[in-house]
Amino acid sequence: MSDDDWPTPMPRRGDVGRSSGDSVFAVSPAPQAPGAGHQMSPVGSLMSEAPRRTRRRTSPLSWMGIGLLAVWLVAMPLTSTATQLVQNTQAMVMVLAVLGVNLATGYGGMISLGHGVFVAVGSFATAYAAADMGLPWAVSILIGAVLAGTLGAVVGLPALRIKGIYLALVTLGLAIVFQPLSKRFTAFTGGVSGRTVEAEMIAPTWFGTSRWSEGLYRYLICVAVVVTALWLVRQLVDSRPGRAMRAVRDDDTAAAVYGVNLTTNRLGTFAASAALAGLAGALHVVLVPFASQESFPPQESLVLYATAVLGGLGSIWGSVLGVAIREAAAATGSGLASIDGLGVISELFDLFDDERLLFGVALILLTFVFPRGLASAIVRRTRRRDA
Amino acid sequence: MDAGLLLLLQRIFDALTNSAIYASLALALVIIYRSTGLLNFAQGEMATFSAYVAFVLLAGAAPGLTGGSLASAVGAPYPTVAAIGAAVVLGAIAGGVTERLVFRPLRDASELAMVSITIGLFLGINSLVEQWWGTAPRQFPSLFPDAPSDYLDIAGARLRYSAIGAWVTLLVLLAALAWLMQSTRGGLAFRAVSFNRESAELSGIRSARTLMWGWVLASALGAVAAALSASSVLLEPKMMLRVLVYAFAAATLGGLDSPRGAVLGGVVIGLSQTLVPAYIPFIGFELSVLPALVVMVIVLVVRPAGLFGTQRLERV
Repeated sequence: MSDDDWPTPMPRRGDVGRSSGDSVFAVSPAPQAPGAGHQMSPVGSLMSEAPRRTRRRTSPLSWMGIGLLAVWLVAMPLTSTATQLVQNTQAMVMVLAVLGVNLATGYGGMISLGHGVFVAVGSFATAYAAADMGLPWAVSILIGAVLAGTLGAVVGLPALRIKGIYLALVTLGLAIVFQPLSKRFTAFTGGVSGRTVEAEMIAPTWFGTSRWSEGLYRYLICVAVVVTALWLVRQLVDSRPGRAMRAVRDDDTAAAVYGVNLTTNRLGTFAASAALAGLAGALHVVLVPFASQESFPPQESLVLYATAVLGGLGSIWGSVLGVAIREAAAATGSGLASIDGLGVISELFDLFDDERLLFGVALILLTFVFPRGLASAIVRRTRRRDA
Repeated sequence: MDAGLLLLLQRIFDALTNSAIYASLALALVIIYRSTGLLNFAQGEMATFSAYVAFVLLAGAAPGLTGGSLASAVGAPYPTVAAIGAAVVLGAIAGGVTERLVFRPLRDASELAMVSITIGLFLGINSLVEQWWGTAPRQFPSLFPDAPSDYLDIAGARLRYSAIGAWVTLLVLLAALAWLMQSTRGGLAFRAVSFNRESAELSGIRSARTLMWGWVLASALGAVAAALSASSVLLEPKMMLRVLVYAFAAATLGGLDSPRGAVLGGVVIGLSQTLVPAYIPFIGFELSVLPALVVMVIVLVVRPAGLFGTQRLERV
C-alpha cells in the first residue's frame, strides 16, 4: 500500500485529497537561502530521469488484502449463479470508475463530483461502436475509454483555473446537466428510455454455451482489463508524470517553479481519470446489453465520489477497498431490512436498505473519524507499527 | 404592440417566479459561503425536505403518507400559509442543528472534508425523502390565487398573481434580512464574524453561535425557495436538483459573498432560463440548465469574484 517514494512528513500546504505522507515535496519547496547548498532534493526527485526509488515493502496487511482478493477472484465465479456472476462482475468493474475519481481527486487534487458522466459516455460510445458500427469489442471498448478521456480533457479545461471547492461545484453541475443533455442525442443514447445493445460478446465454443460459461468468459475479460488498468495506474502514479501530478496537488506554484507544465499535467490527469471511468462504462455494456441515461442520475456520481473517499484517496488499493465496502454495505443494508418485528427499530433498519443513505451517513461519520479516508488510516496504523 | 415584443414581455413575466426562487436559494448559499467559506451542496435537498414537511402538514393523516399521523397529532391539516410557515421554521431549526452537530466540530477541516460532509448530507436526505414520500410528483397548493383568470393585463401580456406573490415574498424576506443584518446586534455580530472571525472573537463575539444563526437563516430561505418551487410546478424529490444549479449559477454570477449579487444573479439566471430556450430551440425547457452551468463556468474562469463579490487574492 505504500505507493509513495518519500515517506517523510509533508508540508501542510494545500489541503485537497492527500493520504498520509505521500507528498513529493520531501522538504519545503520554498526557495532556499544562498549557501544552503545545492541539494534541492525535490528537483532531483521530480525531474531526474532515473529517480531514486525506495524499495517497496508490502505490509502483512497488504498481503492479507491481496490474498483475500485472489480468493475472491477464484471463488466468486465458482460459487455464483449466472445472474450473480454478472452482478458481481459489474461491481468489480466499478473499481475502475472509483479509481478514476481517486486519480482526479486523490492524486490530482481536483475534486470531481461528476465522474458518473464519464461512465455514461463510455457506455454509450461502446454501445454505438459495437452495435451500430459493428466494430469488434476490443476496439469498441477502447473507443469508449478514449472518448470519455477526450471529454475529460475538455471538462478539465476549466479545471486549469477553477480549483478546490469551486471545481467540485462545476463537476456537480455537470452531473446534473448530463441527464437532460443526453436525452438530446437520441441516436447515440436512445433518448429518454435508453437503448439496447444489439451486439453480444460471444465466447469461443470450447468455452461452453451455457449462460454461466458465457458469464465466466466475460468475467475473465473484465478481470484482465481491470487488472491491467490497475497495474497501469500504479505505474503512472509512480512515474515522473505521476510525481509531478502529486506535486501539482500539493503546491502548484512550487511544482511550476520546478518545471512541471501545469496545463498538460492537469489536463492529462483529468483525461486519464475520465478514461478510467469510461472504461468502466464500456465494460458495463459488455456485461449488460443495455445503456440508459436513467442509470446515471447525479446521485450515482456522488456515490462514486463517496466510494472513493470511503476507500481512501491517494491509494490504489483504497479504490478496491471502497467498492468492497460498497458491496458489503449493500448486503448489510438488506440484511438489516430483513429484520422484522422490532417495531420502530425495524422501520429504521428498513431505511438503510438504500446505499445512498448508508453512504451518506458513512461519509459523514468517516469524515469525522478519519478525515483522510479509511485506507489511509490503515496505512498510517501499519506504518506506525513498522516504525 | 409588436407581436415579437409582446412575446418577449410575456416571457419576462413568466420568468419572474423562477427568478424569485433562484434568488432566495442563492441568498441562502451566499449567507453560508460568506460566513464560513463553505459551498453547501446539500442546501437544495434540505429545502426539499422542508417542502415535504409542509406537504405533510397540509395533508394531515392520509393513508400511506409518512408522518401523516404525527402531523395530525399536532393539529394538521393546516391552512396553506400556516403549513408552509411551520415547515420553514422546522427547516430553520433543522439547519441550526445540522450546523451544531456536523459542521461546528469540523470548523477548520480541509475543503475535501467539507465537500464530503455536504455530499453525505445530500445523499442521506435525498434517500430519506425518496423512501418516505416516494418519487411520484405531488400536487402542491399555490400560496397565491392561481386560477387561470388570476392575472394582471399589462400591455396585452399576462402578469400572474403568483409571480407577483413570489416577488412580494422575496422582497419582504430581503427587507427582513437587511433589517436583521444592519439594525440588530446579532446582525452586527454576523457581519463581524463574516469579515474576520478571529478579530470578531477577540472583541467578544461568540462566533460559533453567530454562525449557527447563519445556518438557521439560510435554511429558512431555502425552505421558502422550495415551497415556491413546489407550488409553481410540482413537489418531487428531485425538484431542487436543477434549481440548485440555477441558484449556484446566480450566486456565482453575482459574487459568491454578495447578497445583492445573489438577487441580481437570480433575476438574470431566471430570465436566461426562460429566454434562452425560447430563442434557441435546441436547448428546450429541460436543458435550460446548460446555459446556467456555462455562465457559472465562465464567471469562475474569467472573474471568480462575480459582479459584486470581493476579489480573492491568490498567491502566485
